Amino acid sequence: MTEFEIASSLEEALALVAEGYRPIAGGTDLVVAARTGRAPLPGRLVSIERLDELSGIEPTTEGLLIGAVVTHARLMRTQSVIDDFTALADASALVGSPSTRNVGTIGGNVMNASPAMDTGAPLVVLNAEIVLRSTRGERRVAAADFWAGPGRTVAEPDELCVALAIPNQPDGSASAYVRLEYRRAMEIAVVGAAARVDLDGRGRIIGASVALTAVAPTIVAVDGATEVLAGRSLDPATLTDIADAASRKATPISDLRASDTYRRHCVGVMARRAVEAAFGRATGDPIAVPVNRSTGIGAAR
Amino acid sequence: MAIAAESIDRRPRLVRADGPEKVTGTALYTADLRMTGMLAAKFLFAEVAHARITRLDVSGARLVPGVFAVLTAADLPDVRYSAGVADRTLFARDVVRFEGEVVAAVAAVTDEAARRAIDAIIVDYEPLAIVDDPEAARADDAPLVHPHWADYESDPSLVRHGNVAAFSSIARGDVDAGMAQADVVVAGRYVADGSHAAPIEPRAVVARWEGEKVTIWTSSQVPFAARDGVCETLRLPTNRVRVIVPHLGGGFGGKCGFHFEPHVAALARAARRPVKLVFTRREEFIAPDRRRESMIIEITTGVNNDGTIVARRGHVILDNGAYIADAAFFPQLAAMHVAGPYVIPNIEISAELVYTNHQPSGSVRAPTAPQTTWARESHTDEVAAAVGLDPVEFRLLNAVDTAKIGPTGQTYDEIGLIECIRRAADSAGWGRPLPDDEAIGVAIGWWPSFPVASGAYVKLDSDGAGQIITGAQECGTGAVMTLRRLAADELGMQPDDFQIVGQDTAVAPYDVGATGSQTLFNNGRAVVAAAGQVAEQLRNLAADRLEASAADIVLDSGVAHVAGTPDRNVSIIELAAIAARGELLIGHGSGQPPATPEISGTTCVGDQGMAAWVAPQFSCHAVRVKLDRDTGVVRVLEVDAVHDSGTIINHLGAVGQVEGGVMMGVGQALSEGTVYGDGRQRNAALLEYKLQTAADSPTVRTQFVEIATEGAGPRGAKGLAEAPNVATAGAVANAIARLTGERLRRLPMTPERVWEVMG
Repeated sequence: MTEFEIASSLEEALALVAEGYRPIAGGTDLVVAARTGRAPLPGRLVSIERLDELSGIEPTTEGLLIGAVVTHARLMRTQSVIDDFTALADASALVGSPSTRNVGTIGGNVMNASPAMDTGAPLVVLNAEIVLRSTRGERRVAAADFWAGPGRTVAEPDELCVALAIPNQPDGSASAYVRLEYRRAMEIAVVGAAARVDLDGRGRIIGASVALTAVAPTIVAVDGATEVLAGRSLDPATLTDIADAASRKATPISDLRASDTYRRHCVGVMARRAVEAAFGRATGDPIAVPVNRSTGIGAAR
Repeated sequence: MAIAAESIDRRPRLVRADGPEKVTGTALYTADLRMTGMLAAKFLFAEVAHARITRLDVSGARLVPGVFAVLTAADLPDVRYSAGVADRTLFARDVVRFEGEVVAAVAAVTDEAARRAIDAIIVDYEPLAIVDDPEAARADDAPLVHPHWADYESDPSLVRHGNVAAFSSIARGDVDAGMAQADVVVAGRYVADGSHAAPIEPRAVVARWEGEKVTIWTSSQVPFAARDGVCETLRLPTNRVRVIVPHLGGGFGGKCGFHFEPHVAALARAARRPVKLVFTRREEFIAPDRRRESMIIEITTGVNNDGTIVARRGHVILDNGAYIADAAFFPQLAAMHVAGPYVIPNIEISAELVYTNHQPSGSVRAPTAPQTTWARESHTDEVAAAVGLDPVEFRLLNAVDTAKIGPTGQTYDEIGLIECIRRAADSAGWGRPLPDDEAIGVAIGWWPSFPVASGAYVKLDSDGAGQIITGAQECGTGAVMTLRRLAADELGMQPDDFQIVGQDTAVAPYDVGATGSQTLFNNGRAVVAAAGQVAEQLRNLAADRLEASAADIVLDSGVAHVAGTPDRNVSIIELAAIAARGELLIGHGSGQPPATPEISGTTCVGDQGMAAWVAPQFSCHAVRVKLDRDTGVVRVLEVDAVHDSGTIINHLGAVGQVEGGVMMGVGQALSEGTVYGDGRQRNAALLEYKLQTAADSPTVRTQFVEIATEGAGPRGAKGLAEAPNVATAGAVANAIARLTGERLRRLPMTPERVWEVMG
């Protein structure tokens, strides 16, 4: 038997979470895990999906504050996300199926902490922070430091993810997320990569960040992406270097979806393509969201 | 030659008869049924691949609150069954031979109570050696899946030994001499993984007893076979078992045969309540004895420098899994596909169906054909390359054609394979320049029509409204449309004037079910015969009324009129009203199934009647693919599917069949494959067993080479349901090989495998 409460305020939700209730919004992870026998439904659930406090997408002076229960479908259609935090729109547009995207939330994706989560790598390259609140107060943790392992985060049991805070990106910056997929719908990332590229006024790369999906126990950032890319044109040698850097960072497993060898190779390809797409966007190439449906093998015809 | 320039159905297009209730959600499926007092059924599965049961204690399950019945093998008649070899029982006795074998079953007030009862059953196993590799399982010292195989009752025509459940061969001419005479000999070995029918509706069964009679609602493609299975295993006469199939949510062969109807009927009898079983998706993957078998296919072909095939030798190993189900004829069918629709004077092909501790294999849409055709058509491109011939040219040179003699000595009447190849190549733009990451591949295929007995009634009631009472089963094949068309045309009425009543073994005459592409082919014949009897009645009534000879009465557009004088007429509605006061308008029909053609010069060991085919269907698929060279991901962009299935009765439905078959073929080509570990399926879930989605579907251009075929179905129709699932994977393989250079000889051709072959 599961106890199910519908929180009418954030305070009520926090109080219940402090008592040991597990928060639920879209339920796309909890319910599917229960149905497939991976994990039974928690004994006590508190629904947070109707809380106005958690459902906003608000521009702030520092950047964008995205409520935890904002759905993937809403993110992929929100113009400010598409314009300024494009990798996150790319990723949101690829999650699961239309019905998954209509109920699945960004907060749920972040807290579920799957190494194959699509929104994680974009949040890392965009320097996002996860906003955690409990009855004890609020704190923020950088996305790059947030995931501790498959299904594990640094959040305390009584902390609720209430929002994602993404800082304004510098002028001349753009981002993209690309993933390897075996089919064009109902898919999970085999591997993926997000890239952010910052250009100066003359179109030269002055900063970059690359993060990888499904090649390690958590989302991981590629070390020294700026050092690899800064000041260089995106010629084949540069792209090979970033691909190699990504493959070196990867510590993938072999499972049903791919071998470790194939994953390590493909994450390099994805990193290269993410950098190319981000660079393209930064230089005015209108690559539509998501990249996977705009270019390459998965493009719409 | 009666080939239409292009297939045009000038009659008004039929709206799919069961479409509106399906798309509006009012259609009831088995899992939707609710009855007062109904209980939930749950099974305990082996969950190990091969083990001896050392202890089975269900006493704890009986104590769980809400439990009404708990059954094991000890509670049921000791009946061994299966087509071909009686090698299995409803519940495991002493030994479990695959992970999905049913060990016990419970019925309880809720799913949760049933689950708790299952969890309370104690079963201990002594592990037995897992037979995992069908090739190794043929060795003399290999552990046996069925140590007592020789004691099982079996069809005397089967050749079996140890783990080889069935051996068949076809041979004609002198292969050794042919190979010696050939200019070039090409050999290849191809390995295909197993796959699944994967219907979107997991199966469901409801059983309710009234006295000594049981009614069973089930998601079966073959209600009469389901009934007969219940009768055989529970030892009941056929008139005490009524099987009804509500709307069926897809089958693709996976719901052929009988499966869990007897278990649920036995539970309902023990519980004295109606009982419902609904499978989870995982159960749907592991438990039924219908899945597409993995195969190892070896082919050697001798060819002359001018491109003429002179000899072929082949050997196929089919992974039968733990029990034979309906697979006894698969070896010979596989051998026919290794031969293929080619003129080959000297052949010798053998095939072995081998027991393993995997899920039993059985009929899945065009059983054995997609894998063997993928291998043979891959091989065909390799042979063509070896003599420097274009693949299309090579097929045109060697394919069977009207009046030619096929590989087993069957001479063909009018067939359209050559036209299929020409049209597919033309429509696909064979030879045109393409981007360097795209290529076109072609493959051809064939498939038999299956003549079997079938029956139907047709009646018109007092208002002239018609009913077709048929044993036929609709599983998406289009019977709901074609049968109405045939009856309407026979009676000068419209398809909408008829409702179909069926999928009920107590109401309709026998039909073998939605299997073997046979509904239109055989039940169409029955409906035409039944409607013909009503037409005769109508002509006699009209003759009296119009003072004419019955022979001069024409039924057309809802009226009966005298030939040549349309004004002298009476409406069918009026005639129906007259009949309602006298002799009722009722027809029954069955008709004689077409005879199997003669063949010459072929010898078969373990013959299962597959060396000669009635009204064979032919196809050619041309497929354009795109390859991501960095990752090995392949996408199918366009498919030209050209089919000779004889006369097409319902063009819209036929196109739908082809598109669906092509999509299934694309899945088999690229993504669908079962992964085993310790004899158990590791990807028994829709996230890891990757079906193609609507977003992946290519543009499919379908054409029919329509030849009214003698000795076939109504109006010269052949079957069509399975034929579209034969050639696609082979065509995809040939397109991929043109892009990769090195050929991938594993199926499915997953991105990682394609990437590996590119080095």
